[in-house]
Amino acid sequence: MLTLDDADFGYQGRAVVRGASLAVRPNEFVVLLGSNGSGKTTLLRGLLGFLPPLAGTVSGRPGLRIGYVPQRETLDALYPLSAFDVVRLGAWRDLPFWRFGGARERTLARDALEACRAGGFARQRYAELSGGQRQRVLLARALASEPELLLLDEPTAGIDPETERGLLDLLGELRTQRGLSIWMVTHHLHAIAGRSDATVRVAEGRVEVERAA
Amino acid sequence: MSELFSANFLFRNAIFGGLGVVLLCSLVGIYLVLRRLVLIGVALPQASAAGVAAVFWLTGHGHSGTAQTHAFALVGSLVATFGALTLLVLGQRRGRSPADWSVGALFAISSAATILFVAINPKGDIEMASLLRGELLTISDGDLRLLGFALVGVAALFFLFRRDLLLSSFDPEFARTLGRDPVRYDLLLHGLIGGVIALGVMTAGPLVVFGFLVLPALAALRAAPGLVSAFAISAGLASVSFVGGFWLSYHSDLPAGPVCVAVAAVGWGLVTLAMRLRVPRRAAALLLLAVALALPQGCASRWKAAEERATSPLPRGSLPEALAARPIAVLPFTNATGQPLRVPQGLLGEAKRAVGAAGEDPAVTVPELLQARAGVELERRAFAVVPAERVSALLPQARTTTVLIPARGAEAASGSEDPVSVARAALKAGVEGPVLTGTLRRFTVTQTGLLLVRLELVIVDPRSEAILWTGAAKRPVPIQSALTWQEILIDAGPAIFAEAFGS
Repeated sequence: MLTLDDADFGYQGRAVVRGASLAVRPNEFVVLLGSNGSGKTTLLRGLLGFLPPLAGTVSGRPGLRIGYVPQRETLDALYPLSAFDVVRLGAWRDLPFWRFGGARERTLARDALEACRAGGFARQRYAELSGGQRQRVLLARALASEPELLLLDEPTAGIDPETERGLLDLLGELRTQRGLSIWMVTHHLHAIAGRSDATVRVAEGRVEVERAA
Repeated sequence: MSELFSANFLFRNAIFGGLGVVLLCSLVGIYLVLRRLVLIGVALPQASAAGVAAVFWLTGHGHSGTAQTHAFALVGSLVATFGALTLLVLGQRRGRSPADWSVGALFAISSAATILFVAINPKGDIEMASLLRGELLTISDGDLRLLGFALVGVAALFFLFRRDLLLSSFDPEFARTLGRDPVRYDLLLHGLIGGVIALGVMTAGPLVVFGFLVLPALAALRAAPGLVSAFAISAGLASVSFVGGFWLSYHSDLPAGPVCVAVAAVGWGLVTLAMRLRVPRRAAALLLLAVALALPQGCASRWKAAEERATSPLPRGSLPEALAARPIAVLPFTNATGQPLRVPQGLLGEAKRAVGAAGEDPAVTVPELLQARAGVELERRAFAVVPAERVSALLPQARTTTVLIPARGAEAASGSEDPVSVARAALKAGVEGPVLTGTLRRFTVTQTGLLLVRLELVIVDPRSEAILWTGAAKRPVPIQSALTWQEILIDAGPAIFAEAFGS
């Protein structure tokens, strides 16, 4: 789906991640591990295409649909958007500017909310939801964009262990049901034990891939 | 309040034009608040005003300034707004210092520059001061159409790209994963903000623009349950505040802009209070609407008394009782000042006039407004007056005659058309009964707030060609509180005719 070949990523010409070589395959669950400042998020931004490679190559299948779940604190609570409104943003991927949004977009948003077990609070204001609920809403938004590859940036940060388990279970189900490939940045090695197909370790800008036997 | 929208109301077009501006301000303002760009909303209108003031200074603009000057002023506003916007956006992208540093600096520099440009321009102070204080100048039908096209264009872009603007504002990174370029939509949003501000400042001044960019949006975001309702509440509050504020200002003889902004501020205050008292959002929105509608009605009785005083009957003074037998026709006054005395029509209109696109949209002049006032003042003294529409119908070509004075002095103006020949021409056109003619020889506003006026009035019987009455107004009239030509005439008109009629 997506391949990095000896790729460097960084900011203002300075490489933070160096010589990354890895391949994103269909229907796999991969976790990106590393300490703070190691370059995990930089690598994720490289995979998303936000950062062009400073060296090496990034090649992806044309038309690859990527769903992205950012850290929930990055979104501004000032916007008067309900959970449903937030999820519907994802359903606008294929909607050109001259067309009115209609039943298809609403259905996509509702299905995504149900799949993430977030239908119960769809009408509540996003800013008033708990951390775990917001994370489900952001996951539903990514699903509403009908992705093949789902990239998540620390989705379990700051939420309690029980909610974290529930979220990881949900990701596992979505992978199985929808054949998604899921790449997730996390610090919580213990929580993902036995769930992932591969681990990408990022340390001091170097990237190592360990695949489960 | 329906009087504001009647075809005869002098500021009718200004209301429609201003309403269009504040509506768009209230919509764009939602993004300004959500994107935390409120300070830009303060600084950009000030930069736009500085651009206008700079052009007035560079071209030595005054009340009788050339139409080309006003076209340059429009360019000045656009260049200053978009120039400042470009500098701010580039500064933010480089990110070397917090964004509010450069916005604060821009505001300080623009404010100082505006005041200095006005101060060193001895001719342009009244019009510029009225723009800065939020006076709404009259707008002709043609100007209103031009403004309407521009505003509809901005509104159409805002509507067409509403989804992309929301996506790129709320979560730019997610927008990129959906194939949207947030930088492009950022530029579009900033362009729309700049366009609304530049057009708005030209129509209503920086105070009204900033007030309506921020206050309705703040109230709406407090009360609204969702984004669509926030846009609706913001637009509704802006409309009601503007029309209600305009109505209040008209009846209280206060500058329209600050009153409109004050009404919007009351709306915002009420919403904030309701939210603190935990009134349900839907009830708060309804309450806000009800109070905004009731406010002007509640003040109606207070202003009505003042209005009655301004139109109350007066003694006839030196005017002969015999004139009451037949209706008097007030003929177009002769302008013998040597100045065009054209009432500014709003800067868009002046720009259009400069490029020769004014068409059949004649500018209103001071003598025409004095002519209209003469009719009102005669009626206050219990004289019947031939309706102005009938005089215009009988004398369709007759508008104010302007007598240009040679450089040697005012004496040459005495060669203007004499009242008897004017009356004779009126008789030929079918005007019956006595006619009132007027010759305006001086109309100058001093720096100390005095109107130096010399108006000579003559009533002639066209059939006998006998002069029935003569009078004149020569005393200076204090006009300290007036800032526009219309206000000057509203304030000074009764005093001028009281002196001329002797009552």
